[in-house]
Amino acid sequence: MTRPRSLRSLLPFAAALLLLPAAPGWAQTPKYGGVLVTHPLSAAPSLSPHEESTVAVAQQASPCFNNLVYYDPAKKQESVDTIIPELAERWSWQDSQRTLVFFLRHDVKWHDGKPFTSADVKYTFDAVRGAPDAKVKLKVNPRKLWYENIEGIEAPDPYTVVFRLKKPQPAILPMLASGYSPVYPAHVPLAEFKNKCIGTGPFKLKENKPGELVEYVKNPDYFVKGRPYLDGIKFVVIRDRSTQIAAVQSGQLDVAGTGWNRTNAEDAKKGLPKLVMVETDSNVNDNVLINFKKPPFNDRRIRQAINLALDRKAYLVGPRQGAATFGGALLPRPSGVWGLPPAEIAKLPGMGDPAKQKAEAKKLLAEAGYGPGNPLRLTVSTRALAIYVDTASWMVDQLSQVGIEATLEQIETGVWHPKMTRLEYSVALNLTGVGIDDPDAQLFENYRCGSQRNFSGYCSEEIDRLMLEQSQTTDPKKRLALVNEIDRRLQADGARPILGWGKQHWVMWPYVKGWAVHENSIYNVSRRQDVWLDK
Amino acid sequence: MKVYVFKRLVIAGVTLLGMSILIFVLMRLAPGNITDIIFESAGYVDEADRRKLEAELGIDKPVAIQYTRWLGEFVRGDLGKSYRYDLPAWEVIKPRLPVSLELAFIALVFSIVLGVPAGVISAVSRGRPIDYVLRVLSLAGLSMPSFWLGMIVILLLVRALGWIPSMTYVSPFENLGANLFQFLLPGLAVGYRSSALIMRITRSTMLEVLREDYIRTAWAKGQRQTFVVWRHALKNASLPVITLIGIEFAFLIGGLIVTETVFNLPGVARYLVDAIQFRDYPIVQNLVMLIAVVVVFANLTVDLLYTWLDPRIKYGNA
Repeated sequence: MTRPRSLRSLLPFAAALLLLPAAPGWAQTPKYGGVLVTHPLSAAPSLSPHEESTVAVAQQASPCFNNLVYYDPAKKQESVDTIIPELAERWSWQDSQRTLVFFLRHDVKWHDGKPFTSADVKYTFDAVRGAPDAKVKLKVNPRKLWYENIEGIEAPDPYTVVFRLKKPQPAILPMLASGYSPVYPAHVPLAEFKNKCIGTGPFKLKENKPGELVEYVKNPDYFVKGRPYLDGIKFVVIRDRSTQIAAVQSGQLDVAGTGWNRTNAEDAKKGLPKLVMVETDSNVNDNVLINFKKPPFNDRRIRQAINLALDRKAYLVGPRQGAATFGGALLPRPSGVWGLPPAEIAKLPGMGDPAKQKAEAKKLLAEAGYGPGNPLRLTVSTRALAIYVDTASWMVDQLSQVGIEATLEQIETGVWHPKMTRLEYSVALNLTGVGIDDPDAQLFENYRCGSQRNFSGYCSEEIDRLMLEQSQTTDPKKRLALVNEIDRRLQADGARPILGWGKQHWVMWPYVKGWAVHENSIYNVSRRQDVWLDK
Repeated sequence: MKVYVFKRLVIAGVTLLGMSILIFVLMRLAPGNITDIIFESAGYVDEADRRKLEAELGIDKPVAIQYTRWLGEFVRGDLGKSYRYDLPAWEVIKPRLPVSLELAFIALVFSIVLGVPAGVISAVSRGRPIDYVLRVLSLAGLSMPSFWLGMIVILLLVRALGWIPSMTYVSPFENLGANLFQFLLPGLAVGYRSSALIMRITRSTMLEVLREDYIRTAWAKGQRQTFVVWRHALKNASLPVITLIGIEFAFLIGGLIVTETVFNLPGVARYLVDAIQFRDYPIVQNLVMLIAVVVVFANLTVDLLYTWLDPRIKYGNA
């Protein structure tokens, strides 16, 4: 016989209910059915997240897959505390955080009916880390760096997987929770993921017309009982923003907004006030690349002058139209976990009185030998996309205010990254999205000596040492202190001046419920098993 | 006639060969190739992997070998494989080709249906208010880019009716009515510009013909106006119009890119831009060649139509 619970025993549940996020739909009783139509950022070059590095793939492939662990869609901020089990029922850190053991679910099937086992996990992550004995090799492996600390992966039985690390690395769990870290089926040839998808996820691929649409139907055998709510999801590629706005206003799209700025979202809502607009922070920053390898930009005074000349408040009201947050190398708090404290951010170069900072910039330029008679001439390169060009044009104007004669160079998207990788520029305006809000992902990719994404060519042995130290620090408080110290030094060095962290915008019909949005990532929230339509 | 057709076919072949060299060289002159884009966008370049992929795609060979191999394959009907989507190029192009052809065809129909009668009416009503109205409308058609017009049409529709044409393509085999409905507005947006041009040419040639003696004779004999204008005058004024229609068809095919983007139609024109950005050589080369083939043969068809319209034209003596 069971005794009725006392009111006190119910208190934790009541508290949990109070803490439920304000996202529309989480507190209501969901309804089943309906197909949600949205547009992705762009066409997906494949449905293989491990081989791609655009959020468009994470958006369109995530409904098909599962990870071992995933970020809780209902929690707005991603952190190690919001990681929830997916294919793993639970996990355990052992051996002073050098061993991570996952205990897998027994009731998971691939979309083709085959059972999911630990062999699939080993197969996937051996391929991603480029293990010598991996059964397959990824054609392109953008996140090999994430997993370079893995010494070996073992599958002692069908439902246990052991990740052995060379050194402790708390970030390994967040990396496994990323939208870029799904588990692939070992029995399906890797090449098939170019255009098809066999996963364990809440939705099964119905149709993929490359460059046109990706359509999913509900997976009736999904291991999470009662999910998904939708009968299907359709991603329709619409390239033109005006057409995207018209499509959501006319009801052809239920949700729109990926890649939009605030003006786009406001335009959509102005045309049809009943639409719901959501604006949050995101982990995509506008950053200035100054080529450390190219004189005179290897002169610290020149870099500082450029950094000081760019008035951040003008950036916020100008190209970003008020939709950005100031910060350093890591997304600032409270949306981010690892950013510098607000008081320090307020003192970063470019944040002070514009007149004083510009005067200081002119002084530094004069010290370096540049002035009215001998102005510094440079080219500001940027990607030929509106969201880049707007900010780069503003930069040209700001630089001219300190006597720098800058010209704008727009680089076609196809050759943008190759040119940056080869440091074929002087000064550039770039946008960087970080897969997860974790220092290991952000710092190692963008600031470490020799990293192929270190587009400015910045290199400091001391910073590299600190990066390694923070990566192995298991105490979160100590790690945060180290990360902040690294950030301070990067900002002082002008390693890659951050103008600000842009906000993301979504516009949806009021009947769309449970459309999760995370404040510190755009990559890890696209499973969409909790979305439902209140129609 | 046979000799003429043969000569024209040879010229068409040489033109296409020239086109093939031009497009092949231009693509190679553009900086970067697909492996640069794939690897360096990913921020991870393994030189061995890159070389392996280049060998797999055949872009490690000298340009002359790449060219002859591609041309041979094109002539045999083998369009190769899309580098970006890892699918046979024909599989990528095939579903898109009918979309662009249908749009171009509907636009052409609109341009003829609107342009020719408007030109005739304008010529016959020279100096009257209707003439001025039609000329202003044609001037507007020439001045407004079709993509801008398309965008304005979409914005007006969504504001006024809360409706726009379907954003996902409806095949005519699936639902002919819905398909035609979907193509109506983009067809009109593209066709309007061509109709303006056709209207102006029709008007000026009609004005010339209407001054001819045989037309005056027909009037003097008391023939009905519709008979004189539409039977005698228009037929004799139609040669330059037919030539223009042929040229416009070629122009339409090449000019659909933005209209397809605005109306979200999955045609070849829109796809071509993506393929160029990703240096997907097989797609770009083959698509441009296919468009060139369509254009060359459209012009040939127009030339052959001359004998039907004007039996005095003898190609053999030309």
